[in-house]
Amino acid sequence: MKGYTGRILKIDLTSGKSFTRTFDESYVRKYLGGQGFAVELVYHGVPKGTDALDPKNVLAMSGGAFNGFPIGTASKVAWASKSPATGTLAESIMGGSIGPELKHAGYDALEIVGKASAPSYIYIEDDTVDIRDAGDLWGKDTRVVPETLKMRHGWDVKVACIGVAGEKLSKIAGIDCDDRQAGRAGLGAVMGSKNLKAIVVRGTKDLVPHDPKAVLRLAYQYQRIYQAAGSWVEDTKYGTGEFLGWVNKERGVFPTRNWQESVFNEREKIDPYYWATRYVTKNKACFSCTKPCGKLFEVKDGKFKGVAIDGIEYETLYSLGAACGNADVESVARANELCDLLGIDTISAGVTVGFAMELFQRGIITEKETGVNLAWSNASDAVPQMIELMGNRKGFGDVLADGVKVAAKRIGKGSERYAIHTKGLEPPAYDVRGMKGHGLAYMTSTRGACHLRAGFYAPELVGKFWKWEGIDRFSAVGKGPMVATMENFMCVYDSVGLCKFSRGFYLIAKLPEVLEAITGLKFTEDELLKIGERIHNMKGNFNAREGVTRKDWLLPPRILEDPIPEGVSKGHKISVEEMNLMLDDYMKARNWTSDGVPTPEKLKDLGID
Amino acid sequence: MTKMLVPYPENCTGCRMCEMVCSIYHEGKVNHADARLQVHRRNVKLDFPSVCTHCVSCGDECCMLRCPVEAIKKKDGVVYVDQELCTACGECVEVCPFGVMRMEEKAFNCDLCGGHPTCVNFCPMHALMYEEPKPERYEQVKRLLAPEE
Repeated sequence: MKGYTGRILKIDLTSGKSFTRTFDESYVRKYLGGQGFAVELVYHGVPKGTDALDPKNVLAMSGGAFNGFPIGTASKVAWASKSPATGTLAESIMGGSIGPELKHAGYDALEIVGKASAPSYIYIEDDTVDIRDAGDLWGKDTRVVPETLKMRHGWDVKVACIGVAGEKLSKIAGIDCDDRQAGRAGLGAVMGSKNLKAIVVRGTKDLVPHDPKAVLRLAYQYQRIYQAAGSWVEDTKYGTGEFLGWVNKERGVFPTRNWQESVFNEREKIDPYYWATRYVTKNKACFSCTKPCGKLFEVKDGKFKGVAIDGIEYETLYSLGAACGNADVESVARANELCDLLGIDTISAGVTVGFAMELFQRGIITEKETGVNLAWSNASDAVPQMIELMGNRKGFGDVLADGVKVAAKRIGKGSERYAIHTKGLEPPAYDVRGMKGHGLAYMTSTRGACHLRAGFYAPELVGKFWKWEGIDRFSAVGKGPMVATMENFMCVYDSVGLCKFSRGFYLIAKLPEVLEAITGLKFTEDELLKIGERIHNMKGNFNAREGVTRKDWLLPPRILEDPIPEGVSKGHKISVEEMNLMLDDYMKARNWTSDGVPTPEKLKDLGID
Repeated sequence: MTKMLVPYPENCTGCRMCEMVCSIYHEGKVNHADARLQVHRRNVKLDFPSVCTHCVSCGDECCMLRCPVEAIKKKDGVVYVDQELCTACGECVEVCPFGVMRMEEKAFNCDLCGGHPTCVNFCPMHALMYEEPKPERYEQVKRLLAPEE
């Protein structure tokens, strides 16, 4: 079994001790790597009923099976834990160099439990594992921390860290590495609850593939395929926001002003087709990716002068832009920078600010409580101001710092009606009223509203994907089995560590060849999809055990009651009947009970205990 | 004139693909310390490659001059380490202004893959080119490397 290190490092922060355990081929055949390993560690490591911020919660991290090898876009690192935002087993995926570096240090995965007695950071250099004092780093932002640690330990170390928001246990806090974030589901707060500010990794060991020549050949082959694709040019020029204009105008599903509208009339101002030439000064990429969607966005003058970020991504253009009615792209960039520095998820943060702005519009909250003028017309100033308050838990920011679900509970006065989330996680930039299968995916996603657990936006917006054609995005019929299959597919993707932007190139068909070149292990497509199914079922079973069942999956009132008011998707919503039809279909396809609990037969079939 | 690797820092995305393919091409395994070139990711604004310039831009900081046993030689414009003579003393690694003279059992450096550099093949951003040497580019990289030296 080449390509793997065969070792998992467990660190107990309470006792300060670390342990290494080994695994063999059977473990790989069951869980593959990346998300599979991370989910397995949380699934078997977290006792029933553990609070997400309790020391007993497990924070796991693992680089995908392709991580560390020169396969284009194979940079994805999976983090997993019980989420403080949703109470479910949530994974959060980042593009970063810490996964490959951990492999070079000799570990495929990292499992962190316990709680340090004082602010600390973990230092891993090959076989040396230390827990060190982070008193001087506490309170510092996600750029100062890695810089300080690199000065201390050398430029070659890789640093994952949390910002102030994670320290303050914000349920929307993320983990940062190399200006890339594992933002979703509040895993930054789990790290903060363990008094863990940063993880520093340095690895110097060899990673030996089964067939080096084949790895090099496949790497070159896929690189040529990426470069020949139209999307390569678009992504390289404009980043992930390249299809914003199309989603907005041709599909009419770009959620605006807290989902009151689905077409952003001022989209030219935030569309990268219009701003790329003015603000982008350099292309940026994740580790081992030759399809650079990262943009160095620099503001050279004006009130936001000095802003420099890796962005702005499509999702952030929605959350800190359209969702807040913010058409000032420099303000979006500043708010994005603040999110990154303070360590909060841009999607959750933006949706939460947009939610507060709608409450402001309706007079449910006023400037007296908020301290900031949250009128849509003041978005350019209000959004960055509010983000700063949220990250630091100051003033009204403290009310919003844990996302919309908690904020609505704190504010009361009927504000729940305007809180857009499923399972407590704020949704990404696709208005599911105009893409119903994706609406199902928001419900079934084990970590709450997410576009990438099933990635179902692509099949529905384009109308075809993989083995399906002629998909009607306005229909609820037949979506259950498709979403279930796509979820399994995506679990495989996160386990091999490929970026989902390359899923159209590899699909599942090409993965066995690459896996064999790296590991020497033969897999069939069906075996891989079964691994994906196993991973999803483990998450589903964990969630059911924690009491999160169908009743908690449901779509928010806005999607069920308010039709889209204008644009090409005008008049569409997901009715309660459609919602239930899709959920019933899905449960059947999964062989789960109608409440969303995996059946004993299913678990036995997949070998889950 | 012999073609050389030329770095274009403004085009580098920091993906380090070139390091990995260099290592795997020459050694059959991935280890960034085995790569004959380096990518530096300093902060959100700065990523850049540094490459062996085969004497074009090293001046007095020259591995050939420093080698006490004259194991470092030049043939057709390409600098190489005579593995028979090398004593692994590390002088060349210390002096290399680009940090790309490497050492395992013996010293080794970029061999331009015999005229078809793998790293260039894998860089779609043109951050590495195989062309007429451009001393001003090498000087630029030296300046970028300077703060941490």
